[in-house]
Amino acid sequence: MDRGQMAKWFKDPVKMGHKYSLGVVYFATGCGIIEIPPTITTRWDAERFGVVPAATPRHANLFLITGYVSVKTLRAIIRTYEQMPEPKYLIGFGSCPINGGMYWDSYNTINSLDKYVPVDGWIAGCMPRPEAIFIAVTHLWTMIDKDMADGYKRYKKYYRQYRRNQERVLQHLEWPPLYPIGEGE
Amino acid sequence: MVKQILEIILVPLIAFIVGLFLLGLARKVIARIHWRYGPPITQPVIDIIRFFSQRSVSHGGMFNMGIILSLAASFAVVLFLPFGVFTPLAGSGGLLVILYIMIIAPIGIAFSSGEGANPNISIGISRKLILSFGYEVPLLLILLSVMTHYGTISIVDIVKAQEAGNWALFSWPLVLPGIAYFLILPAMLGLRPFDVASALQEISSGPQVEYGGRFLALVTIEHGLAIFITIGLFVDLFLGGGGLWHGAGSFLYSGPGAILTPVVFLIKMLVVFLLGLFVHSVFPRFRVEQALRYLWRWPTAFALVGLVIVMIAK
Repeated sequence: MDRGQMAKWFKDPVKMGHKYSLGVVYFATGCGIIEIPPTITTRWDAERFGVVPAATPRHANLFLITGYVSVKTLRAIIRTYEQMPEPKYLIGFGSCPINGGMYWDSYNTINSLDKYVPVDGWIAGCMPRPEAIFIAVTHLWTMIDKDMADGYKRYKKYYRQYRRNQERVLQHLEWPPLYPIGEGE
Repeated sequence: MVKQILEIILVPLIAFIVGLFLLGLARKVIARIHWRYGPPITQPVIDIIRFFSQRSVSHGGMFNMGIILSLAASFAVVLFLPFGVFTPLAGSGGLLVILYIMIIAPIGIAFSSGEGANPNISIGISRKLILSFGYEVPLLLILLSVMTHYGTISIVDIVKAQEAGNWALFSWPLVLPGIAYFLILPAMLGLRPFDVASALQEISSGPQVEYGGRFLALVTIEHGLAIFITIGLFVDLFLGGGGLWHGAGSFLYSGPGAILTPVVFLIKMLVVFLLGLFVHSVFPRFRVEQALRYLWRWPTAFALVGLVIVMIAK
């Protein structure tokens, strides 16, 4: 953790600001949300790293999907992700968003979150312990340092593909495209 | 003239820094009371750097203008508030001007956030207005009794009178208004149990729900300034401004000792803010009608009785 190194703050304050002030939207889709209360309260205290829960996506820059993603909640996830101001990061928590987990053959959950919204990192496990969230946050710091946490740029670049995947699952989307559709590759 | 210009530049800057420091201190102190380690004290500065560098969404012209209006009004009130020996514009207005401009900051926020169509915003604004109905009544009574007791509307003269005599909180006719002001302080600052307007869990932080990016940064700065103003007014009116205890502080206000008066002012401010925080960190939240019932009962009763006592003692 290089939060105390003033030289880095003067060199690149924007990057350091993004690293050490993470407003998190915890998307309580499944059982994973039960690990969040100990993380943000007295036992593990995520606030000492600048990780605070945000009440609304407008205040946030980190989006944590905790648990399985059903087709119905995917709609809300996409809308929430698109409302967050850039730069924004998205982390899948638990094995369900990665490949479906124990719901891999369910009729109403999606198997890979990565097809519909860009994911910057995964926390594997069923359930991951609160320590795993801190490990993920430190990995995210490293990725921000190396400009590798570029999910929001990928979303813009490949928006046509993402939108096509979203429409394939959700049939019709009620909101207009976030970026011009012709721009994608 | 040069001195006044210097003060006009310097005092808002100090208020800005002190406001951010108090916000950071609040988070640290609350964390320690919860037996957590807590964020670094510079966390609001880090947050503001992040907010300014994020892309923000505007919802129209008033959305941009209202927030600037409220920030400008806050900086203007800071200029009218005596800050130790620094009195940039305080000689030329008095309490009435402060009363008028203090209202503009919340109204600016209400104009600005009202532009967004989120229902949480309307609920937040209506709660904030109801709450301000609650604390404006005792506040006006308190200011009236202070003005009656000292026979002036000039806040500089009120501070001077306390410097010569006793602090207003400990001069017997003004004890009850002082207690009443202290009771409405959490409501004015939006601390628990009165944080109905910006309730995170109920209405997703109320009027701030649509602010993102640099709007949120400006709102945070405005919040810090509001803390400075509200507690600063209490310190000026009831705790003798930048002066020490009667008789002990005669070396202040004259010669090189004058530079210490802002420090004394800030120490008093810190003590009052910490007392508010201790209540804030252990109490749950009132519902809005409970808050109104409380505010119109105890602080108003204290202020009314205090006003009567001041009238009789005069």
